[in-house]
Amino acid sequence: MTLQIVLGISAILFSLGLAAVLTRSHAIMLLMGIELMLGAANLNFLAFWRFSPDPAALAGILFAIFSIAVAAAEAAVGLAIIILVYRNLRSVEVDDADQLKG
Amino acid sequence: MMCDFFHSLCADPVNAIGGWFVLLPAAVLLLAAAASVVLRNLIHAALCLTLSFIALGVVYLALGAEFVGFVQLLVYVGAVAMVIVFAILLTRPDELERSRSFFAGFGPAGGAAAALATLAVLLGAIFTSPTGDRPMPPAVAVPVADLGKALMGDYVVALIVIGVLLTAALVGAAVLAMEDEP
Repeated sequence: MTLQIVLGISAILFSLGLAAVLTRSHAIMLLMGIELMLGAANLNFLAFWRFSPDPAALAGILFAIFSIAVAAAEAAVGLAIIILVYRNLRSVEVDDADQLKG
Repeated sequence: MMCDFFHSLCADPVNAIGGWFVLLPAAVLLLAAAASVVLRNLIHAALCLTLSFIALGVVYLALGAEFVGFVQLLVYVGAVAMVIVFAILLTRPDELERSRSFFAGFGPAGGAAAALATLAVLLGAIFTSPTGDRPMPPAVAVPVADLGKALMGDYVVALIVIGVLLTAALVGAAVLAMEDEP
């Protein structure tokens, strides 16, 4: 069990999230892909904390906790925007939301 | 003998039974995440995403970050997944997704190729890095009390900023999603 394995898992997870963002055109699928990428970043924080020579330093854990809090705020605002776009345009396709006029 | 094994299992699961404690939930994590990316049915995709959140929490637990693991389960499985399902139900769940994407000329293949290229670059960097094959050091227990002291001590400014951010984000989300006055 080396650092490379955990980082490799995290890289695969990040690429899956990126693929979801790039290939799907449904706004909720985009948000789900972003959540996967944030999870991969958190896994990196914890992997570097776990494999660091000084595990008593808590920066990795605390950064992951802050990152989870920011991700929760991002999900709340993102889903509110999706509901607002759906109410105005009757669509959740990101390609349909192509004008600034309200 | 058995007692020693169980003691080391509880204290340091990864070094006690090899990498399986991390690799099994990681396999579930990657399979569920892949399923949520490719499934066409949004509800199925959201449920697979929830499964991947649970598996990610178990990976955190296996890495020895108990507090982050339980926070992951509470916040992602308890809140984010539920909010995503709510949003799917509030919009039209049966609308078929059209296959247009940002790579309009290439279709989804362009996006998948870009993601694969990113994966290749990341894996190449990870597996050629000189610090990458570092073995896992023995686990160190991190009491939640230490985390709390660090949060209220060295990291108190970040904690306050996160509190303001969460408040602003939730009030903003409520204002955005509020029905307009007739």
